Amino acid sequence: MSMLKAILPSLAFLRSRWLGCPLALMLTSTWALAQDKRWGPGEAASDYGYRFHDLFWLITILVSVAFALVVLLLAIPVLRDRERPGHRASFDHGKSLHDKRLTAVISIVTFIILDAWVLVIAMQDLREAYWAIPDAEDPQTYRVEVLAQQWAWNFRAPGVDGEFGTADDIITINELVVPKDRPVSFNMTSKDVIHALFLPEMRMKRDVNPGSINKTWFRPITAGDFTILCAELCGFAHYQMSGKLRVLEQGLFNEWEAEASKLASTAFDADDTEAQWAWDWEE
Amino acid sequence: MTSDHIHPEPTTFLKKHVFSVDHKVIAKQFLWFGLVWLGIGGIMAMMLRWQLANPGVPVPLFGKLLFPRTSGVIDPASYNTLFTMHGTIMIFLGLTPAMIGALGNWSIPLMIGARDMIFPTLNMLSFWTMVMGGAVGFYSLFVPLGATEAGWTGYPTLSTTVGAVGQGETLWAIAVFLIGASSIMGGINYITTVIRLRCPGMHWMRLPLTVWGLFLTSILNVLFIPVIGSAMIILVLDRVFGTTFYVPASIMSGGTGGDPILYQHLFWIFGHPEVYILILPAWGVVCDLLSFFARKPAFGYRASVGAMVAVTVLSAVVYGHHMFTTGLSAMLGESFMLLTMIISVPAEVLFFNWLHTLWKGNLRLTTPMLFAMSVIFVFGLGGLTGIYLATIGTDIFLHDTYFVVGHFHLTMAASALFGTFAAVYFWFPKMFGRMMSERLGKLHFWLSFVPLVIVFCIMFISGYAGMPRRYYDHTSTEYLRPLQHLNVATSVAAFLLGAAQLIFVYNFIKSRWWGEPAPQNPWEVGTLDWTTETPVPHYNFKTIPVVQCGPHEFSNPVLGPDTDWIYQTEKLPG
Repeated sequence: MSMLKAILPSLAFLRSRWLGCPLALMLTSTWALAQDKRWGPGEAASDYGYRFHDLFWLITILVSVAFALVVLLLAIPVLRDRERPGHRASFDHGKSLHDKRLTAVISIVTFIILDAWVLVIAMQDLREAYWAIPDAEDPQTYRVEVLAQQWAWNFRAPGVDGEFGTADDIITINELVVPKDRPVSFNMTSKDVIHALFLPEMRMKRDVNPGSINKTWFRPITAGDFTILCAELCGFAHYQMSGKLRVLEQGLFNEWEAEASKLASTAFDADDTEAQWAWDWEE
Repeated sequence: MTSDHIHPEPTTFLKKHVFSVDHKVIAKQFLWFGLVWLGIGGIMAMMLRWQLANPGVPVPLFGKLLFPRTSGVIDPASYNTLFTMHGTIMIFLGLTPAMIGALGNWSIPLMIGARDMIFPTLNMLSFWTMVMGGAVGFYSLFVPLGATEAGWTGYPTLSTTVGAVGQGETLWAIAVFLIGASSIMGGINYITTVIRLRCPGMHWMRLPLTVWGLFLTSILNVLFIPVIGSAMIILVLDRVFGTTFYVPASIMSGGTGGDPILYQHLFWIFGHPEVYILILPAWGVVCDLLSFFARKPAFGYRASVGAMVAVTVLSAVVYGHHMFTTGLSAMLGESFMLLTMIISVPAEVLFFNWLHTLWKGNLRLTTPMLFAMSVIFVFGLGGLTGIYLATIGTDIFLHDTYFVVGHFHLTMAASALFGTFAAVYFWFPKMFGRMMSERLGKLHFWLSFVPLVIVFCIMFISGYAGMPRRYYDHTSTEYLRPLQHLNVATSVAAFLLGAAQLIFVYNFIKSRWWGEPAPQNPWEVGTLDWTTETPVPHYNFKTIPVVQCGPHEFSNPVLGPDTDWIYQTEKLPG
């Protein structure tokens, strides 16, 4: 008790303004404020989102086993082969043919289990999903043009007439509305610096480069409000370059599209060339 | 093969300690320089962690001094500057001089039995060029219109005048260029020295693996630093002289444009080998130290050399995995994915050899040994998580999240740093003639190792949960707010990690001047550096040694029961 009394005054600095306050703030308020803590990315809302999870957890299992083996092989000598009187290391340069074969076999087997297996699945995923950009001519495909800038997302949809560069193009800023269950195909470019369109719930990410058009796609399978983030450093307000992605059931979406197209036509100004940034969809 | 041409020892202070051409003095200069910059970069990391855990709360202690206009709060632009400079400093001004500059200069001539580097004056120039680079980089923080804030990768068009008007960005590019020039001079010197100045009997398969690591690193330096040098020159041309190599026509008024993606190719052609530039010397040190302190020959010496050579070659052809979301063609993407995974084969050979070296050894768990063994753990963790990022299917989501931050810090930063610590603890007695405190060293090890693993493992969770990197404040977005507790936990561990380095600083400075005098060969190791007197005399060896056996003849039965090691200059009995 007396020792505690002796120590306590020396801890007074914790209460001082320059260290104590922020320290207490950090340890208590920030933790407490985060009420619903999240430990993963949440449920995938796109049709290919499950592929990320399948592969992620497959790799996690493989990697965990491999790492556990490494730690085990590190721990055994530490516990068993410590220096002590009368103990001598075994003399082995690992030069024998047997050792060479063992090295080669273990490396190749590890490669096949750890890498080749994952590689094959990843190739499949790329061809069937991530890089299988849907045909723009297909009426099922909902096409969106993205023009990124510091620090906002400009989205342009063709409107009811289905054609870009016309009066009824729907232009939204930091909010994108798409129909559920239809593939959404993006053509993207940037006005200034490189950005990256990141839809975390859709497991989709693609850089948005100035000077060239980058393509990507996803198919939402859940209706609701989702997140749009920028994933490529684009200046000091990079962290604020977020937006909202609204996925609507087809019926609701049609209503919204008709309304938005009508509004767009009334506000259309043919002389405002600055606003006419739509470009042709080729291929 | 050997140099009989000996200059007298300089007598003036300036010639002896400042503009010295002696590789030992230059090694110490690089070490002090690197350690100071590691400290500065570390303090920057602490400030970054502070901001992430307490967005908008003034930095305690020195916040008001550094950010007077915001009364101690880090503003978004300063935050970007901080992480840009943290990366640049740690890689180019911290690890490069401490790992390659200091370790290379110290160990290469001593371990191959040479009296100095082959080009001593170039060696001195290399150090002072790096000092110049550091000065320009530091000055870039205080120039009109703002410091650099485009990330250590400096992607255009953010780093051109389109995105960064500040002169700091130009100076940053010049600083990187100068440091690169310094590395090229060092690289040429190391390569030539290893080829030309090995003492009689020191043939390639008798070289300590530390020298092999440094030799291969130097080859990468000489091959790939010119690429980043040219990328930086082009960036300066774009910024200052109005060329448009990186600026596309669509965002210029008139003229033909360039392409910002060109820079990404140039940067990563250098950038990926850079990872191995930093890690190869650490691997070499680990190979040697594990053998030294397990009192056992390095298992599969030739296979280890072969693996390191294979990594050196392959490192040149995997860089595209940094650009999977950039818009590479499907064919390129898949090729780079395959090549990246192939590089894991030589890494597996090395791991296998390391673990086999320890197996049935006679382990002396000294501080350098603990750091060397931790490299296996830390690099294992970092290397294995690389599989998530090499696989495009998972990389699409994980790219530019904290998962990447955790991965590359464990591989290139923590492994290289722990390799550096291992080397410093190991060579300190020879370098300064005094022993470092083992007790403080072990305390430093455990208080660094545990928080470090916690810091970067939490980052894997944050990244998996979708937290983007380079964000000033994660609480401003609804989706990221529920991840704030991870940021807080990371920061608490990071502060412990930072505080633990004070133990090292104390131990280093105290031992440097007041430590116990070191015996000639405290670790009982047979390589040539330990055959010299302590402190090492001017021109190292009175007579050029003649090597009779390999560097790892530990516990050889022919040595008899009383000793388990032999100098490389001695002949194995029988």
